[in-house]
Amino acid sequence: MLDALRQARVIENDYVKRWKADGGVVVGYSCSFAPPEIFEAAGVLPFRIRALGNSRTELADSRLSRFNCSFCRACLQLGLEGAYDFLDGLVETNGCDQLRGMFENWQYAHPVAFFHYLKGPHIETPEALEYYTGELRACALTTAAHFGRELSEPALWDAIHRQERIRVLQRQLNGMRAKENPALTGAEMLGLILLGSAMLATEYERLLTQVIAESETRTVPGFKARLVLGGSATDETEFVELIEDVGGLVVADALCFGARAFLPELDRAEADPWRALADLYLRRSLCPRMFDGFARRLEFIERLVTETRAHGVILVHNKFCDIHGIDNTLLRKKLREVGTPVLTLEKEYGGLADFGRLRTRVQAFLEHIGGRA
Amino acid sequence: MTESRQSGIVRRIGRLLELIQRIRPNLSDAETAGLLKLLPPESGHSLAAFFEPHVREAGLQFLNMLGTWMSNAVGAAAAGKKAILIPFNFPPELVTAFDNAYPITTEVLTTLAAAGLEGGGERYWEVMMGLGLPDHICSANSIELGSMLSGHDFQPAAIISAAPGACDANSKIHEFASLWLNIPQFIIEKPVDDTPTGRRQYEIYYHRLIENLEEFLGEELTAEKLRRVLTRANRCAELYWELWDLHKPSPCPVPNIFSLILAGTRFSMWGADEGVATMEKMVEVAKRRLADKRLPEQRARVLWAYTSYYFDLTGLFTWMEGQGYLHLMDALDLAMPQPIDTSSRESMINGLIDASWNYPMNRQMGSSSMSQAWIEDMIYVAKDLKADCVVYCGHDACKQTWSVVSILRDELRRRANIPTLILHGDSWMSRTTPISVIQKELDDFIRNVVLVGPRRTRQTKRRLARPSGAPVER
Repeated sequence: MLDALRQARVIENDYVKRWKADGGVVVGYSCSFAPPEIFEAAGVLPFRIRALGNSRTELADSRLSRFNCSFCRACLQLGLEGAYDFLDGLVETNGCDQLRGMFENWQYAHPVAFFHYLKGPHIETPEALEYYTGELRACALTTAAHFGRELSEPALWDAIHRQERIRVLQRQLNGMRAKENPALTGAEMLGLILLGSAMLATEYERLLTQVIAESETRTVPGFKARLVLGGSATDETEFVELIEDVGGLVVADALCFGARAFLPELDRAEADPWRALADLYLRRSLCPRMFDGFARRLEFIERLVTETRAHGVILVHNKFCDIHGIDNTLLRKKLREVGTPVLTLEKEYGGLADFGRLRTRVQAFLEHIGGRA
Repeated sequence: MTESRQSGIVRRIGRLLELIQRIRPNLSDAETAGLLKLLPPESGHSLAAFFEPHVREAGLQFLNMLGTWMSNAVGAAAAGKKAILIPFNFPPELVTAFDNAYPITTEVLTTLAAAGLEGGGERYWEVMMGLGLPDHICSANSIELGSMLSGHDFQPAAIISAAPGACDANSKIHEFASLWLNIPQFIIEKPVDDTPTGRRQYEIYYHRLIENLEEFLGEELTAEKLRRVLTRANRCAELYWELWDLHKPSPCPVPNIFSLILAGTRFSMWGADEGVATMEKMVEVAKRRLADKRLPEQRARVLWAYTSYYFDLTGLFTWMEGQGYLHLMDALDLAMPQPIDTSSRESMINGLIDASWNYPMNRQMGSSSMSQAWIEDMIYVAKDLKADCVVYCGHDACKQTWSVVSILRDELRRRANIPTLILHGDSWMSRTTPISVIQKELDDFIRNVVLVGPRRTRQTKRRLARPSGAPVER
């Protein structure tokens, strides 16, 4: 597991380097509305763009502004610096307005040869689902055609089933951190999940199986409270470590880089692979960019609290992230109404200088909720 | 009615407009100035922009129109109608066409509060902050919603959320309000897709919205109802293009404040008699000024790339005129209305879909590429209306425009040789940047970049000799 966690902390990890050395193609995407299955089916490695706590934004600030979220700026910074030059293409998604701006500036200032825009609706009506199904098909076929790859239905089903097997393993691992005596920390879990969107699915499946076997007998000692962590794009394992260093163990999460990606289940009865993907990635999405899905998001967090016997919830959003910032306000109100303690945190992405303030807030919250200390 | 009910935006603005309606256009300048002193100082100062001698007729017509619009909304329930809250990026004609509904626009109410109330709309902003919402949400909608959520304002029966696809902040805060107030939210998403597929999808969504409204209101949207509204909307559209053309001469006869009046009319009573009357009055005033041939000198024609500033109308629109700076239009004026075929229900709905598809913000930020659509529109307008420069307001909450304004700036320079000033300030609140700072930055930019740039002729450069702030003839 240690090696996997080390690989999770670098952008171009050893798995990607090996894939590229063997002549493999890598396409970058940025959010959970781009299903990795459609790229894997075409023999292309999908790589989810991340910033891994990078706090430098000086190049990005000349394109985006100080009023854009620092996660988008941190990612763009890496793109403009060349950290992502191993990508053979970019697939834009409209995860949020600021991600759109990030992609437009990336392509404007540091273009890649292949660029495709995969558009996801913000509502989950049957008409929206139909549209998104068409978008997935168009994205997959365009990608395959550009890189001269075949895209067959059996290959797509293979990729879908492989990803579902991976999600099952991720859920299993997730269950191990929710045990009475958790087997791994929230930071470890986040690292392992992050790695899954930055390496080949077949290798990742083997890795997860191995990590689960290794973790059977592990126990995380010395925590004061069990917490659920929710909120905006958080690929900063350091931030989760900060929470855990002061005694709060993240036993479940509702993060876009975390459990929101693997807890929704595939509808195995669906006979059409494109519809199956659309159903999974749009209709079951737990992202607050879906403007008609608040009840489902609330129910999801309430269920996590109950199932993991959490003592409280921390909801975090990056400064200038409207969709999470506003959603968190209402989630906090509703969760408190049913007696769940909630801490909301607004933070700068990758802002190590801000960690002192965050640590104090978390410590105060832990004292407030008591936990089992 | 309890006292607390009187402290919301709608009631306070309503009382202010009642007072203003006592001012008649045939009063002398001194009498008008005297009456404005009855208003609280900040309100009187800001709203004086509507009472400058050369705009007074149109200004009064506009304010009277808004008074009617607001009293209709407040009285909707008593009249057996449902007041439906809409965002600015949704043409109100659809709701107006229903017998049982009345549209009221979030951002128009916020603008009235920002421009006309003592202390602007900031106390309502504080309500939203008090709920724990982040301070980077958009004041354009949050000020009015703060008034509603405080319980001190009238409550709509439902919300139409039209910004998904074009603005996250707008969509999210309207979703929040509908959940907080426990009223229905009808969503019409703008697909970020300029292809025929995207357009077809929007048509599907729009038809679904009509079905949902019909069910909610218990009423069929007939061709007759649509025709009644769209015939007037078509008249408004004709007048819009007349006014557009009147922007082309130099000096331009269209007063600066007409930019605000035009957008305010489009977002409220377009398709109603009062809307037609306001549009007619603006065209009449501009034509008369053109015929008079006594227009003041204009040193720079300024196109605003997105919004303007609304918390001190005199401090922006009137001040710019005093400097000889023409406020051509801002992006909120770019409704670009086309005549709607009123021959059948289907043709009228198609026309409404067209109007909505091409509406401000939808057309630019809701397109396949935010930067490209915005650039194309800005270059077209800048060339057609002979803009010397473009100013981006830099409203805090506009994350989508902030995220691509650097591309707009670069491309305006590269493709049209037009310089862009990027300001920063909340368009509806003075607390971020006071109007004096905005004036200074605008003045510095025009004097040091626009008037001495390569685009200017020697004759234009000589105009620099006129000292800043010198009075201009009206």
